[in-house]
Amino acid sequence: MVVAPTALRRRARVIAHQTWLVGVTLLSAALILVPVAWMVSASIRPIREVLTYPPVLFPKAVTFDYFARILGNPMYQHFFVNSVALSFGTLVLSLTFGSFAAYGFSRFRLPGGQVMLMGILSLLMLPRVTLIVPYFRLAHVVGLYDTLPGLIVANTAFLLPVATWLVKGYLDSIPHELDEAAMVDGCTRLQTLHKVVAPLAVPGLIGVAAFVFIAAWNEYLLAVVLTETSRSQTLTVGLASFFGQYVRDWNGIMALSTLASLPLVVIFVFLQRWVVQGIGSGAIR
Amino acid sequence: MGRSRALAGDPSVARAVGPARPVATRLRRRLPRYMTGYLFVAPVVLYLIATAIYPIMTVIAMGTQDVTAGRWHFVGAAHYALVAHDPVFWNAVWNTSIFTAASVVLQLSLGLVFALLLHEAWFNRAVRNTMRGALILPWVFSTAAAALMWSLLYDPYGLFNYLAVGVLHWAHPIEFLGNPRLALGSIIAVNTWKSYPFYMIALLGALQTIPAELYDSAKVDGAGPWQRFRAITLPQLRGVLVALSTVDLITTFGHVDLVNMLTQGGPGRATETVAFYVYRTALLDGDLAKGAATSTILLVLLTLVTQAYLRVLARRGQQSW
Repeated sequence: MVVAPTALRRRARVIAHQTWLVGVTLLSAALILVPVAWMVSASIRPIREVLTYPPVLFPKAVTFDYFARILGNPMYQHFFVNSVALSFGTLVLSLTFGSFAAYGFSRFRLPGGQVMLMGILSLLMLPRVTLIVPYFRLAHVVGLYDTLPGLIVANTAFLLPVATWLVKGYLDSIPHELDEAAMVDGCTRLQTLHKVVAPLAVPGLIGVAAFVFIAAWNEYLLAVVLTETSRSQTLTVGLASFFGQYVRDWNGIMALSTLASLPLVVIFVFLQRWVVQGIGSGAIR
Repeated sequence: MGRSRALAGDPSVARAVGPARPVATRLRRRLPRYMTGYLFVAPVVLYLIATAIYPIMTVIAMGTQDVTAGRWHFVGAAHYALVAHDPVFWNAVWNTSIFTAASVVLQLSLGLVFALLLHEAWFNRAVRNTMRGALILPWVFSTAAAALMWSLLYDPYGLFNYLAVGVLHWAHPIEFLGNPRLALGSIIAVNTWKSYPFYMIALLGALQTIPAELYDSAKVDGAGPWQRFRAITLPQLRGVLVALSTVDLITTFGHVDLVNMLTQGGPGRATETVAFYVYRTALLDGDLAKGAATSTILLVLLTLVTQAYLRVLARRGQQSW
C-alpha cells in the first residue's frame, strides 16, 4: 500500500503527540503515587529496608505479619467498626434527607426557596473549625459527647448541604417534562418520584453517595473534638494518634493506614465514573 | 357521616351534583401547590437550623461571655480586645495568608494542567481513564493517612533525605518539619498533594462544556495550541476558576487537620494558622470563650468572602458570560 507523504507525516505527528501525552501523564502519575507506594511497601517489609541509606527499592522479604498484628488488635477492630457505622449512618441521613430536599428545590417554585438555597450554599462552604467550640459545649449539654450518634449528627450537619446541592444539580439536568407527563397520566407525586425521577437519578445518587461516604470515612476534626475513648473513636483518630508517639512503629502505622484506606480505594475503583461525573457536573453550577 | 355517604351512594344525587370527592383531595386542592414542596425541603431546613444555625448563634454568644466556676456571664468585647492584641494571633494570620495563597495557586495550577492533559484526545479511552484514576487517587486517602505517608518520606532517614544526602551530597539531612523556614512549605506540599484532584475533576467537567466548534474554527484560523488556550480555554473557564478558587480559599482557610497532625503549630509557632489557633485555644488550652471569639472572627471573615462570591455568581447570572 502506498501512503501519500502528507498522510504519513500527519500519522507521525499523531504518534509523536500521543507518545508525549502518555509519557508526561505517566511520569506525573508515577511521581504523584510515590507516597502511596512507599506506604504500601513499608507495610509489607521490615522498616530497616525502608529507612536506610540507600533505601531498598524492591522488597527482599515480604511479610504480612504487620497486617495480622493490626487486624488482631481489638482497639483497631473497634476503630474500624466505628468508622463503618459512622460512614453508613451519615450516608443514610444525608442522602435520604438531601435527596428529598433536592427534589423539593428542583421541582417546586417555593416562596423563600432562593433564600434557603443560598443559606445551604453558604453552609456548604462553612469550615468545620468554626463550629467545633459550640459543638464541644452543646455535645456535653445534650449528652452526645463521646458517642457515635453524636458524631453522626455532627458529620451530617456538614455533609447534608453538599448532598442536597449535588443531587439538586443532578435533578435539574433531568427534564421537568418527564415527571409532568407522568403526573398528567395519573401518577401521584410520590409515584412519579419513585417510578420516573428516582431511576433516572441513580447514577447521580451513586456518585454523591460515594462522595459522602469517603468524606465521612476520612473526617478527622469533628472526631478528635467530640470523642475521647475508643468507644466512639474512628480510624482517622487512631491514625493521627501515632503522631503523639516518640518511637514510631512505622510498620504498624503503614499497615494500619493501608488497611484504613483500602475500602475507599476499592469503592473508588468501582465507582470512579460516577464520582467524577457527580463532582464534575455539580461543581460547575 | 352516614347520611352523606348514603347521599353519595344515591344515583340521583350523584347525577345532580357530581361524584363526591374525598376530603383529602378537596383539602389538597385548596392548599397551594408549594406546600407539598415545603414538606420535601422541611427536614433538611429544620436539621440545619438545629445543627448549624443554632451553633453559629451559640458561638457568637459564647465569644462575648466568660466562664467562672462553671457559670457563663457576659463580658462584652473583652476577648476580642485580648485576641486583637495577641501577637500570636497576628502571627497566625500571616501564616494563614501564606498557607492559603500558596495552596490555592498550586492546587488550581496542578489541577488545571492535569485536567488539560486528560482532556486531550487519547488514543485509548481505557488508558486515559486509568490515568485519571491514578491522578485522583490522593484525594481518596484520608488526611491522616496522607500525613503519615508524607512524614515517612520527610523522616531524617526517609526517601527525600536519601535523595538529598545520598544522591545530591547535601551535608546534613533536611529537617522538613523541624526547620521553621521549611515546615510551612512542607505542610503546603502535603495539602496540595491531597487536594488538587478535586479541582482537577471539577475543571475536567468544565472543559467538557466548552463547545468544540470554538476550537475547530480557531484551528481553521491557524491558531496554535498556546493561542487556543489563551483565547478560548482560559476565558471560557474564567467563571469556574473564580468559583473554585473561592471554594478552595475558604476550605484552606479553615484547615486544621494537617497542622495538628504534622507539627502542632511548631516549631515554635512557625506553622500555626488561625484555624489551628482556634483549635489550640479552645481545646488544647481549654479557653472555650476565647476560642469562641476567634471562631467568630473567622466566621465573619469567611461570611464576607462567601457573600462576595455569591454576589459575583448572581452578577454572572445577569451577564452573558
